[in-house]
Amino acid sequence: MRQRALIAIAAAVVLLIAIALSLAIGSRVIELSTVWDAIFSFDDTDPEQLIVRDLRVSRTLIGVLAGAALGVAGALMQALTRNPFADPGLLGINAGASLAVVLALTTGFATSFAMQVPIAFVGAGIAAIIVYAIGARGAAAGAPVRLALAGVALTALIQSLVYAVLLVDDSTLDQYRLWVAGSLTGRQAEDVMALIPIVLVAIAAALVASRQLEAVALGEDAARALGVKIGTIRTVVILIVTLLAAAATAAAGPIVFVGLAVPHLARALVGASLPWLLVVSAFGGGALVLVCDVIGRVVARPGEIGVGITTAFVGGLIFAIMARRMKVVEL
Amino acid sequence: MRILRIGPLGITTHRRTFAVGLALLAILAGLLILALTAGKADITILDSIKAAVGIPVGAPADFIVGQVRAPRALTAILVGAMLGLSGAILQSLTRNPLASPDFIGITMGAGTGAVLTLWLVTATSLWITAAGAVAGALLTAALILALSWKRQGIVPLRLILAGIGIGFVAQATTQYILTRMDVHDAQNALGWLVGTTTGRTWTHVTVAAACCAVLVPVVLWNARALRTMEMGDDAAKALGIRVGASRGVLAVCSVLLAAAAVAVCGPIGFIALVAPALALRVTRNAGATLIPSALMGATLLLAADQVSQQMPATLQFPVGVFTAAIGAPYLLWLVWRSSRGGPA
Repeated sequence: MRQRALIAIAAAVVLLIAIALSLAIGSRVIELSTVWDAIFSFDDTDPEQLIVRDLRVSRTLIGVLAGAALGVAGALMQALTRNPFADPGLLGINAGASLAVVLALTTGFATSFAMQVPIAFVGAGIAAIIVYAIGARGAAAGAPVRLALAGVALTALIQSLVYAVLLVDDSTLDQYRLWVAGSLTGRQAEDVMALIPIVLVAIAAALVASRQLEAVALGEDAARALGVKIGTIRTVVILIVTLLAAAATAAAGPIVFVGLAVPHLARALVGASLPWLLVVSAFGGGALVLVCDVIGRVVARPGEIGVGITTAFVGGLIFAIMARRMKVVEL
Repeated sequence: MRILRIGPLGITTHRRTFAVGLALLAILAGLLILALTAGKADITILDSIKAAVGIPVGAPADFIVGQVRAPRALTAILVGAMLGLSGAILQSLTRNPLASPDFIGITMGAGTGAVLTLWLVTATSLWITAAGAVAGALLTAALILALSWKRQGIVPLRLILAGIGIGFVAQATTQYILTRMDVHDAQNALGWLVGTTTGRTWTHVTVAAACCAVLVPVVLWNARALRTMEMGDDAAKALGIRVGASRGVLAVCSVLLAAAAVAVCGPIGFIALVAPALALRVTRNAGATLIPSALMGATLLLAADQVSQQMPATLQFPVGVFTAAIGAPYLLWLVWRSSRGGPA
């Protein structure tokens, strides 16, 4: 217990360091003391403080929230499906959200960010139901691979549909190009404000449901013996996952692998206890997205690469190495 | 049973497989004539065929059929055949109907290699792009093999998972290169990355035909080994097959065929997955059916290309959109069925 609390605190410290890096590093490197002043004793005549306030604070917050949402969503998915490869990005849930947003952009239905989140939720929900129905039938041999392939197929289908929409509509293509690379830029303060309550409420709900979800993971008979309503808890968890994935995707574009890599790392540190896993995954997810975003700002100077590209690169490698380390029986 | 002999190549085939092959050839010929004649310009069938084979018949037909429709249709046929063949080999080698070069990273690796040549080499010749695609695909395949190889050998499922991961890495690399490119070049590369048959010229046909001419005989030469290895390595060894060498040659051929297809048309998805499966279904064979898979791939891509051309103007998408719309539901169905206890 005490050890887990210490690890959670350590993860929070890592997240704080990542936040500091994200505020300080960009196409212009700003002293940490200036960052501190910009937040706590703001002077609007200092251009560097203005950069921090106007550009980097909202960008950093979006990164933290999207990363935390994806980390928690991944941990929940893995517990629910008992599948180590479950990740809302890999399974096509984020892609479903992005298709819904693109459709809404073309029809002129979603002009504001506040409108995009519920639309993304619908798209993510449909994709989640499809992929769960197809890929997550029990823990038979080969189930993890099936789920991964179902997700890849669904993602490919959705991507081609997204592409079909974009080819017809130039202006949507222009907005989409930036967003699909998983970019944290160009978000207004009110977008961040809309995101904060959604993500916090969903994570809180996940923590409340986590003990019962743990019981379900023990097996259906054990869960029933403990008085858990299995159908209800599964539905609730899928709803939470969909909400988190939709919020993250609407904010930062489709990001893969954060929901896969972070819970794995967290499990290695805190073990199988789901509430602690969720807490550490939330901190770790935020930190990973921020670090990947900072890398994207540094390696392509004077331009930048979207955080979606960096996470796909890093996450793809982690995924392949995980596949290597799995035992044949687990496959 | 029926045995076809062409020089040293002996192809044993079932009567049904032979009939299916002939039927596919007939459909392909019909589609080809449709591809040459269908369109806004009013050109007779006879003139179209003459123009396609290079006999001058007059101003509009010589250009429209000779320079636009014929190379496009022939490219679609060759690329479709290469994809079908590549998928058939891979599915047989991994003994898994879900294995396909588009999902295990090979196609993505080829795309990265090709985009890299577009970025680094300013004078773009299709041959250089093709070389880049081949190098990218081979490198990706080597990486996937290295990651999935363990003491007990290659486990197909591990290979597929490693391929999915490496595929994402390759795609991310491609996207990174796109951001570093000149805007104009990036637009060209993007158009190509969708997978399209529009604007293909006789150069594309030449590249595709050259790759086919080299690779297809090698594959057919090893066809018996492939079918025998499906019975298990021990049985194949007992029948005098050099299992390691044959498997290596076939795997390289599968990768190269996919890479050549990507070089010519960009990554067109799902043909390599669907064509061999459909071929198995109609021939009712138990094991790999290489020639029917290739014919099926050619038929599917040419048909999808025709559908994409006949769509109303607002729905004119690259052919890759149509192949995905057909192929992805099929893959999902395959996964769903296998999760109910069928073969995975």
